[in-house]
Amino acid sequence: MKKPNDLILKTVTKVISFIIILFSLHLFFAGHYEPGGGFIGGLMTAAALVLLLLAYDMKTVNTILPFNYKIMTALGLLIAVLTSAGALLFNVPFLTHAYDYFELPLLGETSLHTAVLFDIGVYLVVIGITMTIIQTIGESE
Amino acid sequence: MAFQLLLNFFLAFLWMFLQSSFTLASFIIGFFLGIVVIYAMRRFLSTRFYMVRVLAIFKLTGMFIWELIKANFEVLAIVLKPKMNMEPGIFKYDTELKHDWEVTLLSLLITLTPGTLVMDVSDDNGTLYIHALNIPDVNSAIASIKDGFEKAIMEVSR
Repeated sequence: MKKPNDLILKTVTKVISFIIILFSLHLFFAGHYEPGGGFIGGLMTAAALVLLLLAYDMKTVNTILPFNYKIMTALGLLIAVLTSAGALLFNVPFLTHAYDYFELPLLGETSLHTAVLFDIGVYLVVIGITMTIIQTIGESE
Repeated sequence: MAFQLLLNFFLAFLWMFLQSSFTLASFIIGFFLGIVVIYAMRRFLSTRFYMVRVLAIFKLTGMFIWELIKANFEVLAIVLKPKMNMEPGIFKYDTELKHDWEVTLLSLLITLTPGTLVMDVSDDNGTLYIHALNIPDVNSAIASIKDGFEKAIMEVSR
């Protein structure tokens, strides 16, 4: 069967995927004060990557984004464990988090929390697992 | 376009530094003065004065909204009509637009105005296959797209 020319889908995907990824980053950073967080942010980033997979083929997407999603999952777990274990260095129980307010140039007073580092771990694991599942199913003929 | 916009932003920031007031108001003043300077010096620049393109974008947006309202009322009239005597059909439309985004924009605008629907794009991106709800005359439908959206998109990209 002749493959139809999906020019419209490809061009729209080029624009839309950026918007989805930016929104997923917003969801990720909103997690502390508003609905959102690492899980839903990671899932939505993975959704943007799935949209790219739908519009282009797997080879192209792997060339554009040369990530090994299995290593990404491992890295996310490692970050989560390390941030949790970091509490042990300060003689407090495992998984204890700390925060403080910092004067940053341009941004002014900002509160930085170690839970964000834990959330980055969750984010990476969710992207890694979702993409591994989808790519594994997609590759098997 | 991109170079002139960047130059305009640079001039606006330069104005903020000269005034040593880093507020949105001084940015807007600097941006406006930058537009004036770029307009005065436009013959030195290799491309057209970029505000012409910005105006063309606004014109295209306004035109799209107007066509959307008009065409929806036309479809309303067809739906409410007791007699089904419209003449649907598929016609070929050869576009002169070159870039991918231009062809995509044209297809999306044609699709979003009810009554016409892009079904397929040919492999060389030069021909659109359009389904029309009611075309008594193919040539007038082609001409209305050519004079309308295609011309407006060309005005933006030229």
